[in-house]
Order: sequence, then structure tokens, then C-alpha cells
Amino acid sequence: MKKNLLVYGAGAIGRGYIPWVFLPAEFNYSFVERNFELRGLLNQSGKFTTYKTVGDGYESLDVPVLRCYAPGEELQEVRRAGGVDAIVTAVGPRNVLSLKESLTGLKIPVICCENDSSLPSLMASATGNDNFVFAIPDVITSCTASNELLAKDPLSIITEDGVCFIDDRVSHLGGNCKYVSDAELRKQWLAKLYIHNTPHCIAAYLGASLGVTYLHESMQHSTAEGIVAGAMREMEQMLIKKFDLDSSFVKWYGGKELQRFRNTLLHDPIRRVAREPFRKLALNERLIGAAGLALGCGVMPTNIIQGIMAAFLYENDSDPDFNIALLRSSLSPADFLKIIIRLRPDEALYELMLTSWERNLQQLGSLGK
Amino acid sequence: MNRAQLMGAAIKAAVPAGTLLMQHYNNFLEVAAKESLRDVVTQVDKLAENQIIGILNGIDDSVAIVTEEQGQVRGGKDAESYWIIDALDGTVNYVNHVPFFCVSIAFVENGSPVVGVIYNPVLNDLYYGAEGVGAFKNQTRLVIKDKPPDECLFSATFSGKSFEPGRRKDEFQLFGEINDHSRGVLRTGSAAMNLAYLAEGKLGGCWGKANKSWDIGAGLVIAGLAGAKVKFKEVDKEKRLVSYIATVPSAWDFVLGRAAGTLGF
Repeated sequence: MKKNLLVYGAGAIGRGYIPWVFLPAEFNYSFVERNFELRGLLNQSGKFTTYKTVGDGYESLDVPVLRCYAPGEELQEVRRAGGVDAIVTAVGPRNVLSLKESLTGLKIPVICCENDSSLPSLMASATGNDNFVFAIPDVITSCTASNELLAKDPLSIITEDGVCFIDDRVSHLGGNCKYVSDAELRKQWLAKLYIHNTPHCIAAYLGASLGVTYLHESMQHSTAEGIVAGAMREMEQMLIKKFDLDSSFVKWYGGKELQRFRNTLLHDPIRRVAREPFRKLALNERLIGAAGLALGCGVMPTNIIQGIMAAFLYENDSDPDFNIALLRSSLSPADFLKIIIRLRPDEALYELMLTSWERNLQQLGSLGK
Repeated sequence: MNRAQLMGAAIKAAVPAGTLLMQHYNNFLEVAAKESLRDVVTQVDKLAENQIIGILNGIDDSVAIVTEEQGQVRGGKDAESYWIIDALDGTVNYVNHVPFFCVSIAFVENGSPVVGVIYNPVLNDLYYGAEGVGAFKNQTRLVIKDKPPDECLFSATFSGKSFEPGRRKDEFQLFGEINDHSRGVLRTGSAAMNLAYLAEGKLGGCWGKANKSWDIGAGLVIAGLAGAKVKFKEVDKEKRLVSYIATVPSAWDFVLGRAAGTLGF
């Protein structure tokens, strides 16, 4: 008998990738999605197709959808005995904590596919339940598809062929994934956070500076690709020195990531990867945090800092962090770093960023020329 | 300039002024009393004010300006739109080295503030907002979380000595009444920071009788855009005095019901 899976977030990971992990042949799918238009399309259609890039082409998977709920509508089903066998969250770290009320008191596993490894323990504290586990979808998934595929099905979505690492506490669920120990999850997470997330968003911000639409287009620009590859090397060195990760593993991981970023079949929009720059620029996150860690173990984060500057230059009026451009242009570099980025003037990274500010600004300005 | 550009201009002016305040924090010159013992001015107020005027003039020197120290710098008293500037809100705190003061700049259109910037240079916190844009502190959008009045901390600012002196006791009575039925009422010494803290969720509300418009203009915008209920009334056009109440939604009736008579609403 099929299990019932409820997925919070019908976006890139929730709709594009999770069905390849928990196949529709074994799981009934329902979603919770706050986007009114997407919700309507899913309920009207009752299905969608996700495509996985394989070699030079795609493999397709049709996914029937029982229902796509608006946030709050799913609670009765979630609390009904046998209503839901497992929950997956793929809504972004900022939104997970808002699910506290909905998920309190549940006994079923909640698999957090989020870019924040602290979320399961935060949710456990918030709800009093320890059924939250961390998962790492080591995959790049677009939130859309090529025009050709969208013409066939407007809900088409593309993912690459990746690996999903899930805490082995929920291995009874089965599925197409790797259930691993805490130690392995930690290793994979460090690699994903610093060898994937850091260069990936840098590629997006450089792409925005270039004015291109998709991430692979950014990687087709030699200077941009050079900065991305350089940032990746800086992170590899940091992981070896700081976290004692195996050098052959990190080098293999870096090579794999560069190939993925170059995948022309993915159609991953820059705007998706670059979204919410302030979140990515948080002091303990993939840009400022990463640069600080590198500097702390003697690795000069020259390319990461160029990527950080590209993030400062990001302009998108429809992004929640649309005000970054206005703040950068209204404040001196020193005040912007101090007040907005919250770096202390006595920090080495603050000094490094300030002294390289004009040079990086000029180099990014000439990127598209 | 559109609202976002006005907000950018105010940020450009407010932050360097805050820096100047901190540079002189341990060596400010001349303290002079104005209307009362609580109403003092330092040389730093004037330096910071001149700096702000200079920066705003550099962006657009056609806009009317009203400041605390110099009054109507440019533009007639009936100008429909103008900057209002308080280069140092919380001067008594400043001169006594109580680290709670700020720079406050607002843009007023047709009698209402529509853009506001408050910079607290002690904590390097920048509060800013504009109609059509939203309210923010540093990187973060401000959205008030509602709570009942018995869970709220409030703050009050009092009128100057010369405004309705016979009714001063009503303000103290109001302070005590709300203090006894809530988590308490503070008197922080900075009306602008009270409103910023309301917008940020630290306070459940604040009010003031006959306060200077430049003290509260920016804060009223920011608090309102963050979701506070706000009401204000000009009580002396010549002296630019305004009474106001601003609270989280659930504390509105609690405060208004008690304060309306005292504040003249």
C-alpha cells in the first residue's frame, strides 16, 4: 500500500526533486504551497511532470497530486490518523520556523530539506518533538523548465540527477536515497555548504552582473568562471585545514560541482539562486561566514570577496531584499559593512573588504565588457 | 525624487551625522538650556545639523528644510513638502553620557511624514522607511507582532514646561495609570527611539504630548509602516508641536481610552 507524503513547498526541491527520491509508485503526493497561482495550477491539473537531466537528454516522471493545500488547510489531514505518513519541508530556512504550530504534536517523521543544518534541532526545541531530521538533497534543481517543456506542461520542472542524503533515523521510509549517519551527514553538509552553496551563489551574483538569465550562462564567461573556480579552491583549502576533510574527497566534490554549474540542460534561473542576498550574506553563512573561516585558517578569500561584492551589487525589485542596492549606494563602504553587514571595524575581514572595495567594484564593472 | 530616493538621501545624511555625534561624545562643547532644564542644546547638535543640511543640499537644494536648532532653514512656513531634522534626539542623555540618542530625519508631504530615517550611532542601528517601500532595521523588514496590553512595555514623552502648564499633572497621572496596568512605562529621553523600538517590537506603544515634530516625524512613518496604529495631531502650528499615540493593534483601545483626554484627541 502506498504511503502518504505531504511536501511543504511545491518549488524546485519539493516538486522537482523529491518525487525522484520518494517515487510516485510508492508514495501519494500532497503539497502545501502559498503561491496562489501555482496552487491553482496543481489542483486543476492534478499532476505535473518532473524531468531529470541524464547525459544529453531528460528522463521524465509524471507525478499525480492528490491536493495542493493553502497554508493552514492541511492541518486536519496532517492530524488525522493515517492521513500522512511522512512530511518533507522544502520552503527555505526563513519559513520553516513558521510551521511550528502546524507540526507540534506530530509523531510522523519530518524531513527538513533546508539549507540550514540547525533547523531540525530548532524545530525539536520549538515543538517538543524529536522527529525532525536533516536531509541534504545534493542536487541542483531549477524552479522552471525550458520553453519547449513548458509548452507541453506549464508545471514542468527540471532537476539534475543527484543524491539525497537523509538521517538514517528514518530509513524505514525507504526511497531512492542514501540513509547515513550523523557523521556522514556532517561531512556532506560541510561540502555542500562551502563547495556548492558558496560558489553557486557567487556564480549567480556574477551572472546578475553580466545580465544573463541562467546560471550556466554565467559559467560560460571565462572571468566569471575563473572567480567561481577560485572561490571553490579557497573553500576546499579551508575545509581541509579547518575541518580536516579528506583532500581527495573535497577535490572530487569541487570538480563535480563545476560540471553541475555548467549543465546547459538545467535552465536554472539566476534569480532563483541569487534570491534573498541578505540571508546569504549573514555573518555565519555561505559568503561572509565562509570568507571569515578561510581567512581564519590562512586562506586568502580573494575570489569569495569578489563574489561578496557581486552580491552587494545585486538589484532585483521583486526580491525580498530589494533594498540592498539602495543601502549600498546611500552608505559609505565602511558604514555599509558596519551597519548593514554587521562586520566589526576591528575584524580582519572588514579591513580586507574595505581595502579591496574599489578594485573589486572596478573589476565587476568591467565584467560584461 | 521618489520616496525610495528620498529615503536614500535621508540615510546618506543621517549616518555621517551619527558618526559625528560619536566623535564628540566625550568632548562636546557648550551646553545651553533652551525652554527648560530638560531642553538643552550642545555645539554638537549644531555641527551635526549643519552637516545634514549640507548633505541634503548637495542632493537637492530646492527642498524646504525645518530643523530643531535653526528653525525654517529654507522654504516658507506653508511649504507643502519639506525635510524635518533633529540632528540629536536625546540630548539630555547625550550630555549625561547615557548612551541612548539618535539622529532623526523625516520628509513631510501635505502635513504628514512619508519618509523617515532614524540612526542610533551607539548601536549602529539604522531604522528607515518610506510609504510604498516598507519599514526596515538594518537588513531586516520590520513587521510588528501584536500582543495584548498587559504584555506590553510602553514609553512616554512629556510636553515642554510652557505648554498647558496647568495640565502637566494629567500627563503624570496617565503615565502612572498605564504603568500600573501593563509591563510598565519608560521615559527613555528619545521620542524617536521610542517609535523605532515600537516598530522593532521592543515596545508595545508610546505616546507624547506637544512634542517637537522633528522628534517624532521619522518614527511615526517607520512605526506605521511596520504595522503600528498611529494617530497624531498638531497642537501648535507655530511651534510645530504634535501630540501622538502609536501602539501595537491590540493595545490601541487600552492606551487611547486613557490618553485621549490628556493628549487632546
